[in-house]
Formats: sequence, C-alpha cells, structure tokens
Amino acid sequence: MNGRRELWFAWWTTVVFYQLFGVVFFVLTRTQPPPDPGWDASRVAQWFHDHHFGLLVGFGIMFLITGMTAPQNALIAYSMRRMSVSRAFGYSYLVLYSLSAIPGMLLMCIVLTVGAMRPDRDPELTSWLYDFAFLSFVGTMGVFLIGSLVWMLAILIDKNGVFPKWFGYLNLCNALTEVVVSPAWIFKHGVLAWNGLIAWWIDMVVFGIYTGVFLMQLRKMIQREDFGDGPLPDSAPDQESVPSTMASSAS
Amino acid sequence: MRRTNGELILFWTLPAAAIIWISAFFLFPGFIPPMSPTMSANQVAEFYRDPQNLPRIRYSMILFNWFCVCLIPILMLIVMQMRRMALRTPILAYCMLACAAGGPVIFLLADLFWLLAAFRPERAPELTQMFNDLAWVTFTVQVPYLIMQSLLIALAIYWDRQPHKVFKPWVAYFNLAIAAALAPAAFTGLALHGVMAWDGLLPFWVKNIAIGLWIIVMGLVLGQAIRHQRAEEPV
Amino acid sequence: MTDKSMKFVPGQPDMWAFVLFETLVFTSYFAVYLIFRTASPQLYLQSQAHLSLRIGIFNTIVLLASSWAVARCVQASRDGRFASASTNAYLATALGFVFLGSKIFEWAKVIRSGFGFSTNEFFMHYYFLTAIHCLHVLIGFVALGVIIYQLRSPARRSQELVETGATYWHTVDFLWVLIFAMLYVVR
Repeated sequence: MNGRRELWFAWWTTVVFYQLFGVVFFVLTRTQPPPDPGWDASRVAQWFHDHHFGLLVGFGIMFLITGMTAPQNALIAYSMRRMSVSRAFGYSYLVLYSLSAIPGMLLMCIVLTVGAMRPDRDPELTSWLYDFAFLSFVGTMGVFLIGSLVWMLAILIDKNGVFPKWFGYLNLCNALTEVVVSPAWIFKHGVLAWNGLIAWWIDMVVFGIYTGVFLMQLRKMIQREDFGDGPLPDSAPDQESVPSTMASSAS
Repeated sequence: MRRTNGELILFWTLPAAAIIWISAFFLFPGFIPPMSPTMSANQVAEFYRDPQNLPRIRYSMILFNWFCVCLIPILMLIVMQMRRMALRTPILAYCMLACAAGGPVIFLLADLFWLLAAFRPERAPELTQMFNDLAWVTFTVQVPYLIMQSLLIALAIYWDRQPHKVFKPWVAYFNLAIAAALAPAAFTGLALHGVMAWDGLLPFWVKNIAIGLWIIVMGLVLGQAIRHQRAEEPV
Repeated sequence: MTDKSMKFVPGQPDMWAFVLFETLVFTSYFAVYLIFRTASPQLYLQSQAHLSLRIGIFNTIVLLASSWAVARCVQASRDGRFASASTNAYLATALGFVFLGSKIFEWAKVIRSGFGFSTNEFFMHYYFLTAIHCLHVLIGFVALGVIIYQLRSPARRSQELVETGATYWHTVDFLWVLIFAMLYVVR
C-alpha cells in the first residue's frame, strides 16, 4: 500500500530533524541549555566570542533544514483527519504550527548569527541581540500552547481511537509547559529565568518525554493505518483483519 | 459556459506580482550592486541618510511589504495540482501548505528590518548597522522552506505514477537543482566578504536568480497544468 | 495498554496516568522550593509570616469539602440517584469558585501589602505555585463540567467519565493540601 510510504516519509523526516536539531542546539551552538540572562554586556560578548564558529555553522545548518518541520506538522494534521472529529482541528494545527517556527526558532537562529558575525560590535548592542534571541525562542508560547490544546481536544473527542486518551492528556502537560515558561519574560535570575531550574530544566524534561512519546504514537498510527474512515484497528492490517471495537480502544 | 472557479484569475496575478517585485528589487538602492557586509557602521548610516537613497529604500520596501505574500496563492495553485497527482494521502499537500507561509513571511521580516533601519537614519550608526545586518541576514537565509518546497514537488512528481502526469519529470529535476542552488545561502553567516558573504556569488546572485527562475518556470508549468485540467474537465 | 490490568481503577486509567505525571511534575517544583528554602531559611521564614494562615486553612477546608461533594456525586451516580449526583456536582463546582474567589482576594491582599511576583524568592515561589495550582483548578472546572453534562441526560451517562472527572478533581485537592503544608504551615 504505497500510501503508507508517504506517511513514513513524513515520520522519518521528523525523526531525522529532531536528531539534527538536538546536535545543532545542544552540541554545536551550545544554546541549549541556554546561557545566563543575568550576565552583563561584556560577559555576553565573551560568550559570542567563545561560540563563534559553533553558532555560525550550527545555525547555517538550521537555515538549511527548517523546512523539515513541515512533514511533522503535516503528519500530525493527518492524524486528526483520520479521527472522527471535524477537519477544522487538523487545519488549525497545521496553520498554527507552520507559523510557529519563525518566531519560535528561526528568529533566534537569525539574531544569534547576526550577533556572532560582528565580534567587534558594541557589547550593549550584542547584549540586546542576545536577549532578543533567547527570549523569542523560549518566549514564543501561544502557538505551541493552543496547538497542543487543539490536538488534545481532538484526541479526547475522537471515536476512531487513533491515539489512547492518556496521550491526549499528555498534550495538556505540553501545553502547560508553555505557561510555566512565561515568567522567563520577567526574571533574569533564579528558577524561573530562561535558563532556570523550573522554566528550562523541568520544562525540557516534560517536552522531551512528550516528543519521544508522540513520535512513538505516530509510528503506531502509521502501522495501524487502514486508510478507512472508521475506528483505527488495534494492530497492523496484515496481522489482524478483525476491526477493533470502540470499547477496547477507548480505554 | 465554463464555470469560473477563480483559479485563472489567481494565476494571472503572478505576472503582475512579478513585475512589481522586479521593479521594487531595482528600486531598492542596496540590491544592485548588493551592499557589502564589510561596510563600516558609518558607511551604512551614510547609505540610509543619503537623500538619494532614503526614499527609494522606503518605497521599495513598502511595495515589497504589500506584495511579497502574493506568492502564496500561486503555491496554493501548486497544491491544487498536487491533489490531482496519484498520491494516496494528502500528506504532501499538507507539507506544501506548511511550507507556503515560510518563505514570504521570512522575507517580510527582512523587509521590516530594512524599513526600521530607514525610519530614523539620524540614530547612532551602530544601531542602523545592526538593523541593516538583521535585514540582510534574514533576507539571505530565508531559504529553508523554499528548499523543502522544491524537494516536495520533486517527490510528488516522482510518486505521481499515472499515464498523464500532472507535471513532467524534468520539472522534478529542475526543482532539485533549485534546491541545491538555494542551499549555500544558508551558510552566509560564515563570511563577511568573498563568495559566501551576503553580497557574494552564492548567497546573493545564485540564490536570487534561482528564486526568480523558479517563479518563472513553475509559473509556466503551472499555467500549462491548469490549461490541461480545464481542457479535461467536462464543460 | 490497560487491558492486561487486573486492578480495578475508577474512571479512565488514562486519567490516572495523567494525574500521576502531573503530581510528579508538581513534586519536582516542591523539591526546588525546598532546596532554595534550605539555602535562605531566614528570608523564607520572614516572608512566610506575611501569609495569612487563616486564609490558607479556609482554602483547604473549602477544597476538601468540594472533594467530599464529588465523592458523594460519584457514589450517588453509581447508585443511580442521578438527581442527587447532579446536585453534588454543582455543589463541588460552587465550592471550587469559592476557593478561586478566596485565592484572588488573598493575592490582592498580599499585593497591596507590597509583595509582588518579583519581590523576593519566597514570593516568586508562592505566586508561581498558587497560580499554577489555580490553573489546574480552572481545568478542574472543565472536568466538573463534563461530569454535570454527563449526568444531565439519560442517553449520555457514562459512569466512567464521571469517575474520570472525579479523579482529576481529587488530585487538584490533594495538590493544594501539599502546597498549603509547604507554603503556609511549615515554618
């Protein structure tokens, strides 16, 4: 069934994207975990100096690959199309998340590139670029908040059993991380700053779990997909031809 | 009487938009020849303060601001053609939808930075230089969604296994070439002069010519596809 | 996922998974609070003195009462006494609003005394924990709403959903008791 290869294309693109994203942000550019918002201008300039090549090369890679976020959004929108809920859910998610990467990720990449490109720039200006970059990345919240709630609602109302209900609730957890991170706009020190124990570290754990889980859930969905309209079978079509009842999949 | 579904109207906005974009492109004094990243802060401030340049900067960027998103309806027409392909799921069409806003919106950001730089030319030169940097970098690195679009079109054509393909195979190879041509621009941060700088051969000339070429070729191919579609449709 | 489970769990097992996860997250917030409290005990002690223990106790009693109402609702629903169940659900909701109102009143009071979100470390934790908890209370209203909606019409009544909503509400209460103990009582 060559429809499945289209879905696998989207899934694999997503997985590869996250690997590259992880390497770029955590290893190459060292922007995750984020540096300290409490630093003064000269310390910030020092940070740019120390990370000069990592920043430029790493974000160059991001400028190449950010398009890979599209298949992820497409696949998740598709999952909602497979549900018994209105197509409005999938379309909403697609639109919300398509726009999210620009203020929520690319801006940081662009601004830090500009910051790194001129090492002799006035440290006060560099410090402003530093704030702009990290706050836009950490502080772009609404699209992810609402997007996650849309997916959550779709999953909870769905009668086709595309995803288990607990995954719907996990979307709520992810949405809540966008609320927990909001004090980053207020604090420059402490656990609620953009590098804080609560606003970054604990939030990242939740986000990391969420991402791992949704990748597995999407994989299961693709394996189970029967390209029909009714409840999604519990296991892959070539293993079982008996369609599952709603009761067992609505647990 | 063939029903009017408006697609032809949308299609013919492309040449109109292209004329506007090309005019605005030449109107902006910083594109031909492209401004160099090695300009000092004072030189950049002079550029924006120059009474010959300032109006041209503002009006060209206002024009771009109005019309840069005109590409999106054309991308939607391509999505409509994708739906005619022998694809089993709407995944690729959804991917195109997800990409479509990317290119124009990133360009819009760059446009805002240029307009900002030109708003108070009397401010400190370092500030103007920073806004100018932001504008140029944003403009140059706007490629990721354009690259993905081209790859998606190529993939869709490859998977469109039917007797009368919507787009011919050469269109797929063309898109792959365009994606490759756009790729180097992503790394423009690494150089302030030379071939990889934002005024250099690859990030400026090759990238912008590639985009122009893509618009022209895809426009023609799209027009053909729409014509075929309307011929096939019952009247 | 839960088919193999032999234990009886009221409501959706999925809700229990969610509630467990949220409790873990809250526990991590509490751990952070306690770590930082140990680092500056004087500051925390002095700041805590500005919180009204009376309001804290009132909040706790109100939420416990609402949990009791929810428990009675579930029992009534199991026995088929749907009118009584509905009444209890409404009662729980009303008590929830009383809690919310009292919280807002308390925040206003503390703000007027000059202690805001950014005043000091203790108050940062205080506002953060109580606000996040209140957000969970608001979500709880949705859960209660689902319960009320389910109980209304005979065609819909899903005992599972009623119990699922109840599970969530009890958790909200449980988390409040922990917050109350940590922020108000432990001095």
